[in-house]
Amino acid sequence: MRFTVRTERLTTIAGYIAGFGLLFLIWHLAATYLVKSTLFPPPGPVLARGWMLIEDGILQEQIVASLKRIAQGFLLGSAIGIPVGLAIGSFKPVRWLLEPWTEFFRFIPAVAMITVSVIWFGIGEESKVFLIAYTTIFVVIISTAAGVGAVGRDKIRAAQCLGANRWQVFGLVALPATVPYILTGMRLAMSNAFVTIVAAELIASNDGLGKMLWDARLFMQIEDIFVALVALGLLGFATDRSFRFLIRAFAGRFNATV
Amino acid sequence: MALVSLQGVGKVFSGRTGAWEAVRDFSLDLAEGEFFCLLGTSGCGKTTVLNMVAGFEAPTAGSILLDGAPVEGPGADRGVVFQGHDSLYDWLTALDNIGFGLRLRGMGKAERRAKAEHFLRMVGLTGQGAKHPSELSGGMKQRIQIARALANDPRMLLMDEPFGALDAMTRAVLQGELSRIWAETKKTVLFITHDIEEACALATRIGVMRRGPGGTLKAIVPVDLPFPRERTSDDFMRVFRDVHGLIHDEIHGAH
Repeated sequence: MRFTVRTERLTTIAGYIAGFGLLFLIWHLAATYLVKSTLFPPPGPVLARGWMLIEDGILQEQIVASLKRIAQGFLLGSAIGIPVGLAIGSFKPVRWLLEPWTEFFRFIPAVAMITVSVIWFGIGEESKVFLIAYTTIFVVIISTAAGVGAVGRDKIRAAQCLGANRWQVFGLVALPATVPYILTGMRLAMSNAFVTIVAAELIASNDGLGKMLWDARLFMQIEDIFVALVALGLLGFATDRSFRFLIRAFAGRFNATV
Repeated sequence: MALVSLQGVGKVFSGRTGAWEAVRDFSLDLAEGEFFCLLGTSGCGKTTVLNMVAGFEAPTAGSILLDGAPVEGPGADRGVVFQGHDSLYDWLTALDNIGFGLRLRGMGKAERRAKAEHFLRMVGLTGQGAKHPSELSGGMKQRIQIARALANDPRMLLMDEPFGALDAMTRAVLQGELSRIWAETKKTVLFITHDIEEACALATRIGVMRRGPGGTLKAIVPVDLPFPRERTSDDFMRVFRDVHGLIHDEIHGAH
């Protein structure tokens, strides 16, 4: 049993490495033989440049700056979104009151909010954290509320006829049954957060991967642009994998859908 | 005094498509310790009767008394075994599912565990306690449901076609086990089914319902055969024929 799990895990990792290898190979072939332009560098020089930026400590600085904003905004947004989603899913009056809000705001993308957030909070950390929180909240709310609504009627009835009061039904049945939905909502929100942070840093920031992209464009440092892009892709990939790992660890054994 | 007494109970559902009378003028007394099977065709309102006794739904006419006091909602004195196994908690192990009611009462972990183990053994699942519901078969899940209801030590068990979704072999095995458990625990059981053989195999009394809408009790057949019941015996066949005769018109009037 343990052996097969480990083999499966190794196969997965080997698959990832091969997949990335193939991606870099195609990139290399396309840049060397197909496009042949200084505007599309092959992976070799880009990786070399990336290594140089790491040695100088510059790349890490940008990554940490962006990740810190994502983490803060994401946690803030989830901390607001989860209880609000639980309330919307549990109480009809709250749903009637707040559903117009969620349905209204979720169609105003965070990118459209950059201008007001800069006007309100300046170009410091606050505006970025606000935007990430904003982009996180509504996805988490909607998926949490949907999760509460999806708790089977018999699960609740079973608890009631075992003697559960209202709070026990909520805390011991509705809440754990909703956890996979909450985590899935957070996972979706995380990918939104990556989109938002780059857009926000492109427009108004002193550091971060978005700012790095923007500066590199100004000075035509084409390798730097690609370093930032690869860094974003790898970070996103790593974050999503860790999320999936968390979801599996929490919910995988009893929920085949994640 | 009867443990449960239904007096002129009726239930009308009102929805967008108009009112639907599920149950009409239903009266029945259940004595302590009996195994009562409520038998009827689909749509006759038998599940509605169970839901009202469980307290999940309120009657629109008449009254339901438990130990002389009106039923006003679900409670730990009536353990329910549901038809589907969606009622189990996927995030808990089999053992923790069984001990769920005890946990609600604040029983300590060690005591809870010992009690849950006892009922796990009673339903024949010794050694499967650490598994989650997704790792168990349909029949095993129904066993866990029965153990969970019993562990809470209710006054009575309400069972809503608990074996309806199982294959015929598993169903027969579980019917035998349930008979044994009932003899061991002496719980009062209200068991809903549409399977004549199942009713004859389990019940001390069988209530045959008229077909819906407005389902009501047509007749009560006492079954005084010894347990375990021999399904091919002449006595069993005689009871089967009696009940079959009663429900025959209901089947052929329906659809």
